[in-house]
Amino acid sequence: MDNSSPLTEALFYILLAVRTPNHGYGIIQDISEMTGGRVVLGPGTLYGAINSMLTKGWISLYSEDKESRKKKEYLLTKIGRGIFENEVKRLNELVENAKKMDEEKEMKKC
Amino acid sequence: MLKFKLYYDKDAEEVWLREMSLKGWAFKKFFLGFYTFESCEPGEYNYQIDLLDNWSGNKSDYVSFMEDLGVEVIEQWWRWVYLRKKAIDGPFEMYTDAESKIDLYSKIINFFKIVLVIEAICFFMELTATILTGNFMYGIFTVLVGAISLAILNVVWKCKWKIEQLKNEEIRMY
Repeated sequence: MDNSSPLTEALFYILLAVRTPNHGYGIIQDISEMTGGRVVLGPGTLYGAINSMLTKGWISLYSEDKESRKKKEYLLTKIGRGIFENEVKRLNELVENAKKMDEEKEMKKC
Repeated sequence: MLKFKLYYDKDAEEVWLREMSLKGWAFKKFFLGFYTFESCEPGEYNYQIDLLDNWSGNKSDYVSFMEDLGVEVIEQWWRWVYLRKKAIDGPFEMYTDAESKIDLYSKIINFFKIVLVIEAICFFMELTATILTGNFMYGIFTVLVGAISLAILNVVWKCKWKIEQLKNEEIRMY
């Protein structure tokens, strides 16, 4: 894998939060809800992450509300989805391997 | 109210602005070390200071992004921006993970390195002028520029130390 893996928690959750079009405030809220308030992204952290992911083409600008001239929405791209899926694969591998710990315990019991 | 202070460490400056807010003084303007304050409800605002990537750049994009998150950009000084958020709208921390904090402190180091080079050039020019002319005024400037350079060196060192600390606690999703 390239150096994008492992993803930081912030990048991982932002990718997840923009699977459907989402704006800055919505991203922070969704991530906070998903993690039970454990991960609350700071405005600067989110701004930096969004800009770097826009540059890398992981997410794209979905809309720019003309009337309020604010509230840009972002959406996951194909590249971003690929990055996310690779990360999930890697995490699944970790969890699968972690089960060996329990298997060992089971063996000792017998 | 007007106050004069020289800050090189933005973390200390943030703490001071918060203290002033707790005393009922909301920071409003900055110019050459002069801070203008307006009266406010004690503790009404929390402050953060950020360093932009460019001098001009896409500042409006940054400002509207922050506004959407309930954060007000109140002042800009070169690449430095002063931000505030109402305390009732929740805690205010611009950078919340080790990676983005390291990015910020690296940016600050690079910013001050350029300033340091300029200060060093000024210092040697002043020093040469002092030695050649023996003028008292040049001597004062030499000491002044030297003192500023040392203060900047101290900040660069502090930022490096903070980066080291952050690297130690950096948690990644392994």
